Amino acid sequence: MSTLAPPRSGNARPLRTDPGGRPRRGTRRLARREAGFGFLIISPAVLFVAVFTLAPMIASVALSFFSWDVITPPRFVGLDNFERIVRDDAVVSSFGTTLLLAFGIVVVQLVVGLGLAVLVNQRRRPAAKTFFRTTFYLPLLASTAAVSIFMGYMFDMKFGVINYYLNAVGLPSVPWLTSTWGAIVTIILIAAWQQVGFTFVMFVAALTSLPTDVLEAAAMDGAGPVRTLFGVKIPLISPTILFATVVAMINALQLFDQPFIMTKGGPGTATTTATIVMYQTGFQNLQFGYASAIASVLLVIILAITGLQFLAARKWAFYR
Amino acid sequence: MSSQMILNGGIAGRFWRGVGLVVLLLAAVVALGPLLWTFTTSLRTPAEAFTNPPKWLPTNPDFGNYSAVFQQVPIGTFLINSTIVTVLIVIGQTITCTLSGYAFAMIRFPGRNAIFGVFLATMMVPLQTIIIPVFVIVKSLGLTDSLGALVIPALGSAFGTFLMRQYFMQMPLELGEAARIDGASQFQIFAMVYARMAAPAVATLAILNFSAFWAEFYRPLIFLQSQDTFTLPLGLVGLQGNLGTGSISVVLAGVVLAMVPSVLLFVFAQRYFIEGVTAGSFR
Amino acid sequence: MTHIIGAGMDRRALLKLGGAGIATLGLGPLTACSGSGSSDTIKMLYFGQQSAATALQKKLQPQVTKLDKAMKLEVTGINGTDWNDFLAKVLTQIASGSAPDLVSVATEGLQLMASKELLIPLDSYVTKDLSSLQSYFDDIHPALVESMMYQGHLYELPDSFNAGSMFYSTGLLEKAGLEAPKESWTTDDFHTYATKIAATGPKVYAFDWVVRLWGSWTSFLYANGGNLLEEGKYSGGDWLWKSAYKDNPAAVAGRGGGWKWGQPTANSAAAVEALEYLIDLQRSNLSPSPDVGGGATLQGLFSSGRIGMTIGGGFWAGGLHNAGMKDGSFDVQRFPTWKSNKSLFGAGGYGIFNSSKKKDLAWEIVKMMVQPESFDIMFPGNVTTPGRKSLMTAERYSSTGPSNWSVFYDQLEGSVPISAPPYYNALATSLNQRTTKAISTGNAKAALDGMQADFEKAVKGV
Repeated sequence: MSTLAPPRSGNARPLRTDPGGRPRRGTRRLARREAGFGFLIISPAVLFVAVFTLAPMIASVALSFFSWDVITPPRFVGLDNFERIVRDDAVVSSFGTTLLLAFGIVVVQLVVGLGLAVLVNQRRRPAAKTFFRTTFYLPLLASTAAVSIFMGYMFDMKFGVINYYLNAVGLPSVPWLTSTWGAIVTIILIAAWQQVGFTFVMFVAALTSLPTDVLEAAAMDGAGPVRTLFGVKIPLISPTILFATVVAMINALQLFDQPFIMTKGGPGTATTTATIVMYQTGFQNLQFGYASAIASVLLVIILAITGLQFLAARKWAFYR
Repeated sequence: MSSQMILNGGIAGRFWRGVGLVVLLLAAVVALGPLLWTFTTSLRTPAEAFTNPPKWLPTNPDFGNYSAVFQQVPIGTFLINSTIVTVLIVIGQTITCTLSGYAFAMIRFPGRNAIFGVFLATMMVPLQTIIIPVFVIVKSLGLTDSLGALVIPALGSAFGTFLMRQYFMQMPLELGEAARIDGASQFQIFAMVYARMAAPAVATLAILNFSAFWAEFYRPLIFLQSQDTFTLPLGLVGLQGNLGTGSISVVLAGVVLAMVPSVLLFVFAQRYFIEGVTAGSFR
Repeated sequence: MTHIIGAGMDRRALLKLGGAGIATLGLGPLTACSGSGSSDTIKMLYFGQQSAATALQKKLQPQVTKLDKAMKLEVTGINGTDWNDFLAKVLTQIASGSAPDLVSVATEGLQLMASKELLIPLDSYVTKDLSSLQSYFDDIHPALVESMMYQGHLYELPDSFNAGSMFYSTGLLEKAGLEAPKESWTTDDFHTYATKIAATGPKVYAFDWVVRLWGSWTSFLYANGGNLLEEGKYSGGDWLWKSAYKDNPAAVAGRGGGWKWGQPTANSAAAVEALEYLIDLQRSNLSPSPDVGGGATLQGLFSSGRIGMTIGGGFWAGGLHNAGMKDGSFDVQRFPTWKSNKSLFGAGGYGIFNSSKKKDLAWEIVKMMVQPESFDIMFPGNVTTPGRKSLMTAERYSSTGPSNWSVFYDQLEGSVPISAPPYYNALATSLNQRTTKAISTGNAKAALDGMQADFEKAVKGV
């Protein structure tokens, strides 16, 4: 999806303040007037969210039970579309590809983002911090489409600058985008290259806001830098790590632009993600019902993975 | 790592800090290299664009590619389209989300928690999984192949509502009470007291929306067909040409042009970009 | 669809809501500016940049005005890296309920659109206006006309085509000490050429190609006597052959009612051998990994003198010229003969939409567009090959090259259209995936078995 899409999940922490818990005030008439005002001002947002998110959600599931080419009227087919998904190797493998790519992107993005954040956090000069923060954020300012275009040229096997430098140091040309594993690795690297700034900025903010007393206490206990990092700092920022993982994962599971522009899902189906299959099925082959069924399955997968992450968080993350 | 520790770390500490700096500088090269390559290659003539080694410094720049971009595609139109779409969405969401976020945080009305719960649930639904019904709705509204197809469905946002609500939740109720005693109406309390205080959150939401919609590729790809409605990312891919006959340095010139507005905005509002990333995780 | 959405909300409410949204936010100008049914606009979809489409619109407008004073022509350019892209956009436009009156359709999409009854057959129009079209039919190769037929009906008057010939860099041939290949050259000669060109330097590839249906490894498959689908012809079509070509029965002997693509033969011995041939070229470093779809890097590499030979048609004369190649630095020859001299081509033209309310006027425009003087308005700068033979002149190619331009038209002899059945989209997707798979794994047989299975599934799906 787009760079830095507004994180769809912002609710990493349970809402602690229950809005209902505030003291009642005013008379009944006042309360009614207040309620009226409340309804009035939520109505625009409710309207748009209902029409363009909630209704489509329901409609998407409903469409999954139809066969529809948009030109002729839809035909109810029951569970046929879902049965077809199970039998359709192309679709099944696209889910596997999606998970593989998403997993790779999230891991690289988190590890590199965290590593860089720790290192930048050690710099003392504010100018150095600003420089690195700006530098690592810059890739996010280009659209994924633009990044896919120039990275496509750079990773080209024939004239790409990457292979040129590999050859210059005596290494052979790598078929970056034209071999199965090359394409998978390249897409992961390129997506992560752009998104690292996102996790990096989050982690720097989290590390900066760590309470100094805890760190000083650790230092006084004689903990070395490595032990402080793994024993104190990382546990302390684990809620941020979880949040970053969830946001990055939701984005990565929707990966479309990079493979669509750079490899068209190839070679073979090596980088054909679920969203690419959806696009091909829906908007190229005009099988809207089948595409909706694939979308519904993808939605369930994304929700399930997000749910799992929260469950894991409840177990592992350290909330202050 | 607290500064004392490093000062006390002696030679070993200094050594590792040095290693850290080298790693950071290498990472900076990796982050900037592709952008620099894009820029300098956009200044080479089409015939040279394929020649390696690349030129890292733009000696002898050829700006012909930039004028070629304007000749080959209506990049001015793309720019205007992207601006219209982004600005309208930013304004629209600022209005709808500020209002709804305020209501969910400060106003009591029946069903509030239930409705907010539904909002939270829809926040988890990725756009791509509902694109087909959205396409159908956009079609039945007669919006396909128009900028409205991008703008109107994005005018409300569960996430934006959530973000604004979290911000309003921190504000003291007493201010509103005081205004009420002075005879202010509900709307005045919102507009004169609270909305003004929400400016930083509005800025953060605006930047988040800018980043998301300025760079958007998927919805334009599906909703737009004719070139005069294209936004920048879609137009750039089109610059690669019919049957891929575009020249790479011209394409890269287009990429650079498309980045200019984002970079300018970043220079002036860097703080809110950074806020945008951390929004939600720290509030 | 309405009743599905109806589950969540009623359509009127939805429309009202949309209307309210537009009105309150003053977004009027954002909605599609051209209403679908405005009676004095005729809409045409063009495959290419909008700037070219607008130029075309300006040039055609006076002609349209001659036909109908009040009529405005609106040409919309749709850009795509390949025909698949274009077709997806056209289909999306149809799905979004704003079908135009006229659409540019190449062989790739003809059967797909005809079988879905999106286009109307032109039979009655052609029959009615045969006398005024006689000069057109006299001038155009019947193979092109036949490729625009489906189940006995004619859906388009072809105006352009591209047949897959072999381009070569004269500079690299010279460097390798080679003479221009002869018309009768074979794939063995081709291989010899490739080996010698590759020997001229490490940065040179002897041959490069693009993964797609037109002029890809498919050209070698055709030359090897095979095809992706069983070749056959629909019956019918005599209504045209016996009238428009009654003076030249020899030219239309064996012509039918369009190409009938039968059972998939993607893993036939000929196909496996052809794909393996290209994999071997790559293994022996005579060619790089091919691009998918477009040919940007190929054109760039060829024009900077790093590719010895590649498959191209008349469109490359303009393409290479635009990329800065001088006349004389490249030339073209017939595709080499392997087991047969069968080659491939794809044709283009304009179809009339079934949903159009101005079919009669649209037909007049179609006729006008195939007039000789319209060609250079439609396709400035030799970016395709004219369908009318009288337009193939030395003068046409004097500024762009190549000097052996007559090959473009001659290649049509013994040529078969690209195999684009009604399920073209599924075929193209599979072709891309399986071909790139074969290249990356080196196993042509396994990939083509997969392609065969994909095709068989797609056949059933139609």
